Amino acid sequence: MYAFSRRGLFYVAAGSSAAVALAACSSGAPPTGTSSGSASGSANANRQISQDAYDAVIKGGPVAGASVVSASPWATKIKSQGYVKRGGTTTGAIFSLKDPTTGRIAGFDAGIGDLLAHYITGGTDVSKLTQVAQTSVDTRETMLQNNTVDIVVATYSITVPRAQKIAFAGPYYSSGDSIQVRADNTTIKSVDDLKDKKLVTESNSTAITALQKYVPGNTPTLFADNDSCVAAVQQGRADAYILDEAILLGNAVKATDLKVVGTPFTVDPYGVGVNKDDPAVKAFVNTFLQKIFDSGDWLKLWKATVGVYVDGVPTPPAIGSVAGS
Amino acid sequence: MNQIWQMLGDNSSFLLNGVLTTVGLTILGFVGALVIGTIVAVFRVSPITPLRVLGTVYVEFFRNVPLLTLLILIVFGLPDIGLLIPLFWCGVLGLVLAGSAFICETVRSGINTISVGQSEAARALGMSFSTQLRLIILPQAFRTMVQPLVNNFIGILIGSSLAAAVGVSDITNVTQQLNIRYAEAVVLFLLSGAVYLVFALGAGGVGSWLERLVSKSRIGSAR
Repeated sequence: MYAFSRRGLFYVAAGSSAAVALAACSSGAPPTGTSSGSASGSANANRQISQDAYDAVIKGGPVAGASVVSASPWATKIKSQGYVKRGGTTTGAIFSLKDPTTGRIAGFDAGIGDLLAHYITGGTDVSKLTQVAQTSVDTRETMLQNNTVDIVVATYSITVPRAQKIAFAGPYYSSGDSIQVRADNTTIKSVDDLKDKKLVTESNSTAITALQKYVPGNTPTLFADNDSCVAAVQQGRADAYILDEAILLGNAVKATDLKVVGTPFTVDPYGVGVNKDDPAVKAFVNTFLQKIFDSGDWLKLWKATVGVYVDGVPTPPAIGSVAGS
Repeated sequence: MNQIWQMLGDNSSFLLNGVLTTVGLTILGFVGALVIGTIVAVFRVSPITPLRVLGTVYVEFFRNVPLLTLLILIVFGLPDIGLLIPLFWCGVLGLVLAGSAFICETVRSGINTISVGQSEAARALGMSFSTQLRLIILPQAFRTMVQPLVNNFIGILIGSSLAAAVGVSDITNVTQQLNIRYAEAVVLFLLSGAVYLVFALGAGGVGSWLERLVSKSRIGSAR
């Protein structure tokens, strides 16, 4: 009878600890002392979004008058619910990242959701303003269409095919695709140098269509998430990683053996996804967005999140300026 | 509706490549797993103790590690020790390793169904262990294993969809990419589901045909 004899147990333990050791080795070389050449320049290490600064921005945001809320059935429902259900992610650096020790989510996208919740409900406990439902690129439209979530704020690029299924309020942020390479790479400086190189990008990214336009004939390898793409560049499976600039800068902060080169070569507007059935919902969110653009709260939120990694003073985009919004 | 046909038409070669990649992953994975699985099963029933132990460790490890974890280790872990394998072959390797553990158990239980009288008679005729396996035991054992092996094949077919998560352009990955561009989730995922369904039904049909074929000639033990 085959039972777990002592000898068998020993060999199994030895085999599995070898596998675990291999996995531990693969978590990457320790960071070198030099900082990478990212656009923000000095002292990249240890840049973090401050939870207190973030909370202060949310609490300082505008609150809608009672008549404004009661005029909108959608907003009234949210106010009685007490929170906004946001479809998004909890693993996106800079835009919506959950701190595993505190359970709090902070980031630019999280801030838009929290500011909207504060606008409608007037609540001051920032941790209770929104509930995040994890969405993926495959499920965003469906979750809006069947009202599983109230809004989707998830680096959601505005495109015309998507706008046929759901409505986009905004744009609320204008980004662009940029290039990330290993720190010792000197051959790739801009999008023109990408012609015969091995490229990688996320499978849920609009960078794919950008690459078809700027580097035709070169099919990039696609991975499901940011970390896999970063590992692909670090390990030599790809020469360059094309994605939204702010995310690449966030990568360069954590991985000092990577750098971002060139300036963004596309324009990628993000919108707030809402259900399409009632056009007043989109109008309500657009009114809210214009309010925070004008009051300076949008800029304060930017400074507390994206601004930690990128220098500059951006201006808010023009609402409705993009096809589909 | 017209847009859907338009989308399918414009991307037909892309979709076809995805189907071919899935077929390639499955067939190469299954053939490799069958070969290695049979070898490991022979190890597990052999009279040599170190081989038996090796076979047991192999099966216990690769059967109990999730296929996705294995694929991620192969794609992202191996380069750290210097082995950079092209993505498609990473997928095949993962399927072969995981599939072979399951096929090993299938083959081993097939071998065990052959009555010990066959083995004793073969020994009485002077056959060595390996000759016995090759001429008497394995041919009879494979006859009983057709349906479980079809199960394993379908398991490898469905498992091949996990390769999409590590960047291999199989039909699952292709439909995910098309969904990003066209936002037609329901149609596209029904399509990829249909591809797997048709392929699995085909495998089941081949299995039934094989079973009828081998049951016509039986030198085997009474059942």
